[in-house]
Formats: sequence, C-alpha cells, structure tokens
Amino acid sequence: MKKYILVLFLVEILLVSGVFIALTAEAQAEPLTITWWHIQTAEGEKALWQGLADEYMAAHPNVTIEVLSLENENFKSKLTTVMLSGEPPDIFQSWGGGVMNEYAKAGLLLDITAYLDKDSWRDTFSPGALGVYSFEGKNYGVPRDMGMVGFWYNKDLFAKAGIDNPPTTWTELLKDVQILKDAGITPIAVGEGDKWPGAFWWEYLAVRIGGQAAFDAAYSRKGSFTDVPFIKAGEKLQELVAFKPFQSGFLGATWGDEATLMGSGEAAMDLMGQWAPGAFADNSVDKLGLGKKAGWFPFPAVEGGAGDPADALGGGNGFVIGINAPPEAVDFLKYISSVDSQIAQAKLGLSVPVIKGAEEGLIDPLLKIVQQGAAAAKYFQLYYDQAMPPAVGSVVNDSVQGLFAGTLTPEQASQAIDDSAAKEIK
Amino acid sequence: MSVNYSYRSRTLKKNLPRLFQYFVLSLVVLIVIVPIVMIVFGALKTRGEFMTRPYTPPIPPNWENYAKVLSMPIFWSMLRNSLLIMLATTIGVVLICSLTAFVFSRMKFRGQNLLFNFFTLGLMFPITIAILPVYLIVRQIGLTNNLWGVILVQTSFQLSICIAILRSFFKSVPYELQDAAYIDGCNTFGFFWRILLPLSRPALGAVASITMVTSWNDLLVPLVLIDKEKLWNLPLGTMQFQGQYGMDLALIAAFVTLSAVPAVIFYLFAERQIISGLTAGALKG
Amino acid sequence: MKKNPFDQNVQTLPQKTRSTRRLQDRMTIVLFLLPAIVLFSIFLVYPIFQSVYYSLFSWKGFGPVVDFIGLNNFKRILTDWIFIKAVGNGLLIVVLSLTIQLPLSLALALMVGRNLRGRAFFRTIFFVPYVLSEVITGIMWLILYNPDSKRGFINALLTLIPGLKAQPWLGDTRTVLLAIFVVLTWKYFGFHMLLYMAGLQNIPPEIEEAALIDGVSKRQMITYITIPLIGSTIRTSVYLSVLGSLQVFALVWIMTKGGPVNASEVMSTYMYRFSFVRFQLGYGSAVAIVMLLISLVFSLAYLRLVRQADYLS
Repeated sequence: MKKYILVLFLVEILLVSGVFIALTAEAQAEPLTITWWHIQTAEGEKALWQGLADEYMAAHPNVTIEVLSLENENFKSKLTTVMLSGEPPDIFQSWGGGVMNEYAKAGLLLDITAYLDKDSWRDTFSPGALGVYSFEGKNYGVPRDMGMVGFWYNKDLFAKAGIDNPPTTWTELLKDVQILKDAGITPIAVGEGDKWPGAFWWEYLAVRIGGQAAFDAAYSRKGSFTDVPFIKAGEKLQELVAFKPFQSGFLGATWGDEATLMGSGEAAMDLMGQWAPGAFADNSVDKLGLGKKAGWFPFPAVEGGAGDPADALGGGNGFVIGINAPPEAVDFLKYISSVDSQIAQAKLGLSVPVIKGAEEGLIDPLLKIVQQGAAAAKYFQLYYDQAMPPAVGSVVNDSVQGLFAGTLTPEQASQAIDDSAAKEIK
Repeated sequence: MSVNYSYRSRTLKKNLPRLFQYFVLSLVVLIVIVPIVMIVFGALKTRGEFMTRPYTPPIPPNWENYAKVLSMPIFWSMLRNSLLIMLATTIGVVLICSLTAFVFSRMKFRGQNLLFNFFTLGLMFPITIAILPVYLIVRQIGLTNNLWGVILVQTSFQLSICIAILRSFFKSVPYELQDAAYIDGCNTFGFFWRILLPLSRPALGAVASITMVTSWNDLLVPLVLIDKEKLWNLPLGTMQFQGQYGMDLALIAAFVTLSAVPAVIFYLFAERQIISGLTAGALKG
Repeated sequence: MKKNPFDQNVQTLPQKTRSTRRLQDRMTIVLFLLPAIVLFSIFLVYPIFQSVYYSLFSWKGFGPVVDFIGLNNFKRILTDWIFIKAVGNGLLIVVLSLTIQLPLSLALALMVGRNLRGRAFFRTIFFVPYVLSEVITGIMWLILYNPDSKRGFINALLTLIPGLKAQPWLGDTRTVLLAIFVVLTWKYFGFHMLLYMAGLQNIPPEIEEAALIDGVSKRQMITYITIPLIGSTIRTSVYLSVLGSLQVFALVWIMTKGGPVNASEVMSTYMYRFSFVRFQLGYGSAVAIVMLLISLVFSLAYLRLVRQADYLS
C-alpha cells in the first residue's frame, strides 16, 4: 500500500513538473526576432547593452531583440555547437581576424559591405579597426573597441627604485629590470599559465625587430616564421627571462593573478592591453587599483630592429552579423555603433572607441594615450592568436610558453609555429 | 568474558583504537574543510579583500554579497529550473536504471554480456565531444530551449554509471529470495517491485545522490541546449560574475555557497536511505 | 565458460510451464530494457557514430565536411609525443587513484559507517567536496595553490616551517600533476566512500555477530569477513575509478589547461584543445575515439576477469 502511494507521489511530481515546464516553454517566435549574443556579464555593461536594445525595441515595435549575455569561455563553447548546426545568432561578439575569417569562409557570416557603403556609415569608423572585421575585401562586422598593448607601470615603485623615466629602448628596459630587482621589487608581472599574456612579449619583439614586412611575408607564406626576425625575437625574450624578472610561479599564474599583483602594488610593470586598469582596480582591496600611481609607456624600440617604434600590437572587440540575420539586425548594429553609444561605452571603460568623436567619453587620461597610439600607428598588428587561424594562434601561445619555461629554443618555437602556419594558412 | 584485565587498561584498550579513529577522522575533516571554509569566508568579503587576503576570517562580515544574490530574481528562477531538472532526471534515472540493472543481474539471456558492455559506453566517451552531435539531434527533435531536452540528455548521460552501480548491488541479493518469491507465485515484476527494490534502498540512495549532484552541477548541457536566460540553471548563473577580463570571486563565492545548500540537503535525504537499509530478517528460518 | 551453480534455479521453477515462463521472461526483458536502449541509442550511440565519421576528415567543426583523410588523424595521434605523454599522465592518475584514493575511501567508510558517535557529521562533511561543482573546486584550489605565500594557503603553511620556501605547485612541471591529483582525491573520495557505505549496509549483521561470538579480532573481521563481503562493491568502485581517471577533464582544464608546457596534459585536455581552441574537430573526434577504444579495451578485459568472482561471491 505504501509503495503505491510512493509511486503515485512520484508520478504526480512528474506530472506537475511537466505542466510547469510546458508553461514556461516559449510561445512561437514573433514575426521578427533578432538574437544578440554578447560577452559583457558585468552589471553596468550588461545594462548598457540591454538599455540600447530596449530603446530600439521601443522605436521599432515589430522587432524583438533577444539578448544573451555569456561568459567568455562559455560563449566560445556555445558558439562552436551553434556553428556546427550552421545557424549562428544574428549579432554576436567577435574579435575579428583569423577566427572570423574562418566563419566567413564557411559561409556563416553576412556580407554587410553594401550597408557600410550606404550613407557613409563606413567613414564613421577608424579604418584600421574596421579592417580587422573584413575578409577578402568584404565586411562582416564592425568594431566597437580597439586598443593597443603597452606597459602599465607603477610610478611609485619606479621612483622607489630610482628610475626617473620609463625605458625607451630594450637595453634600457633590461637595465631597469635589474635596478628594480636590486631594490627588491618584482619587476614584471605575467600570468603565463594562461599563455596569452606572455605571447604579447614575443609578438611585440617580432613587431619591433621585423616590422610589418616580416609578418606579412610569413603570413603570406612567401617567407616563414623561422625567418631571422622571429628567431631574434625568441632570443631577446629568453635574454629577458634569464634576468628572472617575473613573480614566483609565473608559469602557472593566471591573468587574474597578474592583475592582482599590479593592483596591489606588488609588481612594477605589466605588458597588457587596454582593459588593464579596470582589472587592476577590480582585483585590489580598495577597488582603486593603481589610480594616480599608474603610468603607461609604449613597448620600447629594439636596437637594430626594422620596425617603427610607433607600430602597435593590439586588438579589440566588435560584433559580426550571422548569415541568417534580417536587415533589421544590421540596422540595430548601426544603432549600437552610434557616437552616443560609444561615448557611453567609453565612460564605462567598456570600450576604447573606434568611432570618430567618441574619444571624449574616455575618462582615464592613460586610455586616451592608448587610443591615440592605436589610431596613429601605421602598422597595427592584431594579436597573433586572433590574426591567424585559431590553430596557429594556439601553437604560438603554446610555443611562447615553452620559451618562457626554457623547454624550447627560439628555433624550435619558430619551427613549431611555422609548421602549423604551413598547414593552416592556404 | 572472563578476562582478568584491570579496569583501567581495559577501558584504555577499548578506547585507544576509538581515539585513533577520531584523530584520523578529524585530520581528514580539517583537510577537507579548508577550501570550503575559504569559500564561505570569501562570500563574506569584498572582491578586493578576497583577492588579496583570502584566508583571514572576514571581520566584519560583509553580508552584501549574499543579499545581492538573494535579491536577484534570476537566482530564484535558476533555482527553480535546477530543481525541476534535477527531480525529473533523478526519478527517470533511478527508475530506468533499476529496470535495466535488474535484467542484467537477475535474468539470463543470450547476448547478455555484449549488451551490458554496450551500456557501459557512456563511461568511456568524453561528454564534451558527444555534446556536439547531441545538440544537432535535440535541435531536430525540437527540444532546444526546453527543460525536457536537458532532462532527457542528462538522463541518458547518467545511465551508464548508474546501471553499473545498481547491477553490482542487485547481484548481491541472494538467489534464495528470488526462488522463494517465485515459489510463492510472484511474477518477475512483482519480485522486482516488492522485494528487490526495497532491499536495495542503500544502492538506490547512492545512485540517487550521485545523479542529483551531477544534475545540479551540470553546466555543459544547459549551456548548449538553452538560449534563454530564464530557463538557465544555477551553474550557468556563476557566469554572471565572470567577466571577460576577471571575475568577482566574492560574489561567486556567495552564489556558489547558496547553490550548494539545496544539494547538501538532498544528499542528507538520500543518505538516510543508504544508512537505513537492512536485510535483517529476510533470510531467517 | 564455467557453469553458474545457480543457473538451475532459474530453469527448474515449478508453478508455471517452462514455455510460458520463457515468454513472460522474454517480454519482461524487452520491456525493462526498452527505455534505456532508446535513450542510449539516440543520445550516446548516435553521437559516437557521428564522431567516428568526423574523425575520418580534416574538418574545422563548421562548414561542409569534405576533406576526407581516412585514418591520417589516428596516425598523427599515435605518433604525437604530447598525446603519448597525456596517456602516460592518465595512467599515472589511475595508479595513484587505485593505490591512494580507494583505500582511503574504504578506510573512511569503515570508520563512519558503523557505530561511531557523530558519524553523520563526518559523513556529510566528507561528501561535500563531491557536491561542489568542478568549476568552483578548480577556482578554489587555484587560490590555495597560489605560489605567493601571502595568498596561497599551502605555501603560507609551508613557510611557517623555517627553511622551507614557497613552491609554485601548479607552475612547476615536476609538481603539477601531483598537485592536481590531490584535488582529484579531495573531490572524489566522498563518491567512493558513498559506494562503500552502501555496500557495507548489505552485510547481514548476523554474520558479524556470529564472527564476534567466535572471537575474531577487529583486524581479522575486516580482512576476512567485511572486505570479501563487499567484494562486488570494491570491484565496481575500481571499475568506475579507472574509467573516471581516464576521462578526467574539467578540473585539469580549469587549473592548468594541461600545462605548463604539457606537464599535466591528459587525453581529454588534448582533445579539447584541438577541438575547441584550434578548431580541428576532425582530429579532436579522432582523439575521442581513441579514448573510447582505450577505455573499451580495459572494460572488456576487466569485466571478463571479475565475472567469475561476481558469480561465486
């Protein structure tokens, strides 16, 4: 008897759940629904995007915008499964470059070149940044944020060690590293466990030593990643590593650890992108991070290098349009790429603007310097793991970690990267 | 009983192994508890505090994080979804795996071993790759953005491990019981329902615990199958606090401790089943 | 195949004729197995077949599947020293689990399953690590392992002893795999303990009472009576532990992504990197198939080996 009651109870639960679930299931889709996937999960930023979507929906009552906010890694996983089915979302986060190119090649993105040509929408963007979201002459998306990697340093710690001015050449940098070490200060913070922070070092060295010519040659396969500039970059990097300038355990450290060290004033320098100050603040006790103590200087010139010291390594964020998107999606994209939207984004520290006129939204004077540097660079190199196909980028990151660990020679690292490039870049 | 130990050495002899046991257990508790305490403390700190001083007790405790999490309507909807998914999956798994394990442990037929090996495949194939074709199938059936899709997939993925566990437990029920039942006119289902299952409460409790926990913590399946925030479950909620360039550990800690509480409560329920099962009296006479 | 001594019980039952019993049994078997077979085939077997298909191509994971390369992926896998290292690491984890984690779980289950004051408290605490998600476990232990003795708990304790320096547990290629194993043990010993507890419940107390009356010592009781009686539970626990160790993924990926420089690489991190980071899903699928085959070989061998033991216990 008791058993039957139990069974009845279980069946009842199932029934109730079933009804509940059916009730929460979605009704049929509206006539026009646009899906938008972004990776801003922080409250303020998420609210900014939702606000823009709400405004647009109010002005266009027949359009429904379904916004989905995902964390970075989860976003990549989910996008992979969706790409498998061939039905990407209408608007989604992109970093441009190699990954985006792959999607474009596979016919998963919408060509919006014509939209950009209309009404000079194209001209509102900084051309270098816009170029990152194009492939073979066609545009597939627009940028909202483009910055460059540079040195964020703690002015107080520099002063304590007796360094008056930031280094302008590689030799000076190495000298300063020694001075800091002698003063008992950790010269550089790097989260090499995550691999991409360390890759910046090698890539910038290659940019300084080989310039645009070296990368273009290697990428077009007329040259190779085993060419002299890249080997030299590896040698210079190992020269730095020999000084032991990093914090203890750097090989397993994460970007979060790196930001914490800087934010709490325990390391002097950090080669990082435009999101650094925000992260320093978030990861510090008083939420102020480096504040007034922060300084910024560009990657130093390398003596004898063929690159221009004003060349920039960097990247940013943007949105691309999925192949099945309706024209209203592009219209909405235009809406969120307005000057006002960019100014609001700049104020939040979400984006370093790419739309002319929006720079005034930047509050942090350092970010202004970053933005100017990025805009002025004649040669703007996208991070290697974004510029090249993802397989190659991953090999770059792995190989550079080998350079940091001393398990790979510069020749071996370059060879691994070139082997991968030979296979992937056709 | 006629031992001539003095009282003192007798109690010492009796208590020493016991004291030793307590010592070992306490040591294990200490090791186990350190990370947990850290998270509980962390929930009561601000983000910066947690990042720079993770181990100090929070003084004064900062209830802001808990308040924030509990006041978010999305937390409650995720809680509800997690509950629905978990209940349905657990009931489904326990029922289906009992039926299946019963066949493999109490009945004989040709090709039995081959079929059982077939069912163990779920233990051998990485779920991160399996999820891709699964997404395609679920899409075709039309169960994306639907909790039932998640339930079905979760149930399927749990089958192998639970069948393996239940089968070994069902095998240990003595055949004499089965014979006696048949002699008394019981049919197979009757034996299964009225005798085997009640006797296997510990095993069923164990399987239920495992399934409940796995379902509760499942992030991959809902992430892939569901696009609507209001159908998300709790693990996806930790995403809220993980930004592109860093995460608010204190908030995550608060969120995670709150999410874990129901799971621990469910375990306590299931545990009673495990501990209470006894075969006393079944074989007497 | 040796004849099972209990077989005759199934066949020589009175009451119903053999043919109707056979038919009823057949129907019961089919009915009972149907739900599992259906779910399993749709959501697990079909994906495996799909993966076998993908593994024969050089494919990014999106766009058309056109670049047929036969068994090339498999050739590459078996000659890649990183994969071989991953297999080695996996086997190391298996051995460590069997020799450390399982005996520990068994000992604890014996202690808290019986008459011990406060055992419910202990049981619950021991199970909590299993209840926490792998993601948060990874994050917590990342903090504990922090190489800075100001931030890393373990290093903070270590440096209390004079002369010992803080170690980069996850940053040193020599210690990283062991460090991960500690976390794995922490997380999963409760699972095995749970299994053993359930198994211990199945031992009829009469047997233990009889043994006590016969005057066995505690140690003899455990060695000659308790453990053999939970033999099938132990065999299942070993089975699940080996397969689980071969498949371990989330904890390793979150803490080290298989690094530094592949020191903590396991088969699943290798597979994940090629599939989702390098967008080489054909190759990744091949790795998954290799993982499946390795596990299958173990499973078939193991099940055959223990089959006799199960029948006679």
